[in-house]
Amino acid sequence: MDAVEAYEFIKKYDFEEVIVRKLSTKTQQVKFSNNEIDITNNWDETGFDIYVTKGRKIYNFDVKNEKDLEKSVINAEKALRLLEDNPDYFKINSEKYQYRSRSNRIIKISNFDISQFTKDFLEDNIKFAKRIGGTIYKKSMELEVVTNYNNFKDLNKSIEFNVRAFNENDIPTQQSFATSHDDDLENIYKVGEELRDHLRMLGKTVQGSEGTYHAVLHPLFFASIVSYTLPMASAYQVDSGISFFAGRLNQKIGSSLFTLYDDATDDSMFGSRIADDEGVPTKKTPVIEKGFVKNYLHNTSTAIKFNSESTGNAGIISPTPWQVSVEPGTEDPKEMIESIRDGLYIVNTWYTRFQDYREGIFSTIPRDGIYRIKNGEVIESWTGMRVSDSLINIFKGIEGVSRETKKVKWWDETMYSKVPYVYVSKLNITKSK
Amino acid sequence: MHNLDNYLNYLNRYSNFSEVYFSGTLANGISFKNGSLSQVSSSNSSGYAFRALDRSISFGATNEEEWSIVKEHLDRVIENSRVPGRNKLSNEGVFKDKWEVAVKRKIEDMALEDKISILKDIDQILIEKKIPMRILSIADIRQKEILVNSEGTEIEGDISKVAFFGVIGYYENGNFEQRFVQLGFSGGYEALEYWDLFNTISNEAEALKRSVFAKSINPGYYDLVVGPEISGIVAHESAGHPMELDRILGREMSQAGESFIKFQDMGKQVGSQHVNVVDDPTIEHSYGYYKYDRDGVKAKKRYLYKNGIINEFLSNRESAGRVNLKSTAASRISEWDKDPIPRMSTTFIEPGEYSLEELIEDVKHGIYMKSYNEWNIDDIRFNEKYVGLEAYIIENGRIGEQIRRPTLETTTIKFYSSIDAVGKDLKFFAGTCGKGDPMQGVDVWMGGPHARLRNIYMR
Repeated sequence: MDAVEAYEFIKKYDFEEVIVRKLSTKTQQVKFSNNEIDITNNWDETGFDIYVTKGRKIYNFDVKNEKDLEKSVINAEKALRLLEDNPDYFKINSEKYQYRSRSNRIIKISNFDISQFTKDFLEDNIKFAKRIGGTIYKKSMELEVVTNYNNFKDLNKSIEFNVRAFNENDIPTQQSFATSHDDDLENIYKVGEELRDHLRMLGKTVQGSEGTYHAVLHPLFFASIVSYTLPMASAYQVDSGISFFAGRLNQKIGSSLFTLYDDATDDSMFGSRIADDEGVPTKKTPVIEKGFVKNYLHNTSTAIKFNSESTGNAGIISPTPWQVSVEPGTEDPKEMIESIRDGLYIVNTWYTRFQDYREGIFSTIPRDGIYRIKNGEVIESWTGMRVSDSLINIFKGIEGVSRETKKVKWWDETMYSKVPYVYVSKLNITKSK
Repeated sequence: MHNLDNYLNYLNRYSNFSEVYFSGTLANGISFKNGSLSQVSSSNSSGYAFRALDRSISFGATNEEEWSIVKEHLDRVIENSRVPGRNKLSNEGVFKDKWEVAVKRKIEDMALEDKISILKDIDQILIEKKIPMRILSIADIRQKEILVNSEGTEIEGDISKVAFFGVIGYYENGNFEQRFVQLGFSGGYEALEYWDLFNTISNEAEALKRSVFAKSINPGYYDLVVGPEISGIVAHESAGHPMELDRILGREMSQAGESFIKFQDMGKQVGSQHVNVVDDPTIEHSYGYYKYDRDGVKAKKRYLYKNGIINEFLSNRESAGRVNLKSTAASRISEWDKDPIPRMSTTFIEPGEYSLEELIEDVKHGIYMKSYNEWNIDDIRFNEKYVGLEAYIIENGRIGEQIRRPTLETTTIKFYSSIDAVGKDLKFFAGTCGKGDPMQGVDVWMGGPHARLRNIYMR
C-alpha cells in the first residue's frame, strides 16, 4: 500500500484533515573495534505515521504493518471524539505547491561497498595506530507524504563514516565524514590522512588545567554544540518557555561572525528534505544571523500562534530542525591554530548537559584530541577536563571562522551538519578535584 | 511460531548459530504543554530480528512479511556473517519458558479520558503553585516477544510498562530553575499509587521554587551527604557503565567510549569497604525488569563492586564469549530492531545501617545534596560532575538553609573512596540509559540509600 492508497482508505472515516507519511528505509552498517569487525547490521523497514484532525482536535498514530491499519484508524476515530480542542493546533498548510527536484547524485553512493571499504581502511591505517574502531553506514530512505492539499515523494541516500584511533599511549582522536552526494564521496579517502595527522599531533598527554582559554574548535566539536542549540529554536520549545531562544528574538547573543542556519535545502546531506510533513517546501532559515536571533522554526500552527510564517519545519505538533549549517568565514584553519599564543585546539566533545536551558548554561566533555597550543605550536595534549560555560559566552567569543567547512554526523551527538572551524576567545575549562 | 520456525530453519541451513526474535508492541502517549492537550498518540509496531554467526556476527531486522522479501533479507544476513570478524558467543544452557510482568490494573483497561484527566490534575497542582513552564506526559506500552535459537532456546515474554515524564521550569528573582521528573514502572496503572504521583509532583514544585531564592556556596572542602537520587546516578554512571564488558573490550570505542576498568582489573579496589553496588534485573516492577535477557539467558542479580572491590562484569553472550566467560545475562535492546548489547537494569548502592539523622549529626560543616540537575561523565567513566538542585547546608549536625547549584566535580575513585557511611534506606528513580550505535535508550531504575562522603571539594 502506498501513501495515496492509505490516505484514500483513512479519508473514508470521520476526519477533516489527514496527513499520511510513509517512510521506507534500507540501512547497512559495519561496526568495528580494535582493528576487527564486530558486527554487520541490516535494516529493511517501512512504516506509516498518520495524523488525523477534526476542527482543532488532532490525533497521531503510526503502524508498521498494513494489516494493523484498519484497526488503528477505527481507534483513532474513537479517540478523536473524546479529545478536547488543542488551542495550539490551528490547521495544516492548505496552499498547493510544486516541489523542487533534488540536486544530488547518488549513483556512486548506491554502489559503494562498505564492507570492502572497512577492510581496506583497516589495512591502510593499522600501521599508524595502536588500535582503530568505528562505524560506517550506508543509508537509503524513500519518503511519501500525502495531505488533503499536497503530496510529494522524496528519496535520498548517504554514506556516513566515523573512526576513532588510539596512539601508542592509548590516547584517542576521531574523524567524521558524511555525504549524500557522489561529488563528495571521494573525500572519504581523505579521512585516514586527517586521522593520521591528528594522531601524530597528540604527543605527550598530561592532565589539563582549569582556566579560561583561547581555543580553536574543530567542526566536529562546534557541530555538537550547535546541534544542542538548534532544536531549542523550535517554536514549540520556545513556547514552552524552556529554551535558550525564548524571549531573545532579535537580541544579540553572538559575535557578528556567527550565522547559524537550519538548511534542509543542502541536498548533499542526509537530513535534507524537499518539503516538511505538511507539504510546505523547505528552505534555508537563518536562526542566528551575524550574532542576532533572527527566526524561530515554525510549522503552520506555530506560525499562526506567533503571528509569523511557516519556515517549512513541520513536525505537525512540534517544528523540527533538519540540518545544521554554519556560515563559513575567511580564515585558514591551520593559520587559526598557529595564531593561538596560549590556548587549545579541541576536536570533539560529548555528554553535553544543561543546568539552565533558559540561559544556555551547560557543561560538555572534550575528547578525541585536546591539543595544548603555545605560540602557535602543539606542545602536548590534555585529558581529564570539562568545558563548563554558557552558549552566549561561547557565541559572543567567536573571533574567527574558517572558509573551509566539514560535513559531519557523529553518533547521537551531532545532527547532519556543515560547519567550519571556529576560534573562540574565552572557553571556561574546569576539572575534577 | 510458524514464521519464526520457518525463518530459523532457513538461517540454520547456512549458519553455525542462528536466532529469530519477534516483537509486537502497542504503545500510547499523551502530552500537555503549559495546560494545553498537546499530543495524543498510539504506535503499533511489530517485526522480526535475526542473528546469524559464521566468520562474524550478522544482525538483520525487517517488518516485511512477504516471504520473497524476507528471504532476500535473510540471504543478506547470511552473506554478511561470512565477512571475517569476531565470531564467538558464550556457551549457555537451553531455556524454554514463558514469563510475564505482573499487572494489577491492565493498560488496556485504562480509558483515554482517565489518562487525560490525570495529567490535567497534575497540571492544576502546578498552576496552583504558580509554575509557569509545564510539559507533562504519560505513556504506556504492552509488548509481546518470542525468541528462538538454533540451540533450542524458546522464550516468550509479555511485558507491560507505564511511564511519566515532566519538565517544569520556574523563573523569579532573576533566576531560572528547571526540573526533569521521570517515573517508570513495569506493570499496569497501579504505577500511579506506587509513584504517589500527585504528592511527588507537588513536592518537586515546592523544592524548585525554593531553589530560585537559594544562595551559592563558597568553594571548598565539605563533608557531603548525598540522597538516594545522587547515589543512583553515581551507581549508574560510574559503576554500571564502566563494568559493561563490551565497553571494557572496546566495542563502543568510537561512540560511548571505553572504561577506566580493564579486563584484568577484577579484584582491584575502587572504593571504601562500605561500597556495594548491585545491578539486579529481577526486582519486580522495576523499570528495567526482565526474567530472561535478549540472548535468552536467565536473569540474575550481579554485584558490580563488592566491599569496594571490582567483582562482576555486565555481559551478554557476545562479550562473554570473547573472553571465555559465562554471560551475566545483561543482554538488552531498546526496540525489536536493535542488536543486543550489555546493559544495566536496576543499578544501586546497597543500603547500610545508618539513618539519615545519624549520617547528618556527625557532620560539622557540610552539604546535603538531595537531587541533581546537570550531570555528565567522561567516556572512560572516571571524571564526573553533578550539579545539585535541591540541596542544603549542614552546620553542626543540623540541616540549614537551601543552597543553589552546589557542584561536585570529582572522579569515580575519589567518590567511592570518600564514603564512610551508608544509610539503611533505599529508593529507586527511573531513567533512560543511552548507548549503542544506532542509539538505544533503554528503561532503567537507579537508586540507593543516603550516603556520607568526607572532605570532598564542592563549588
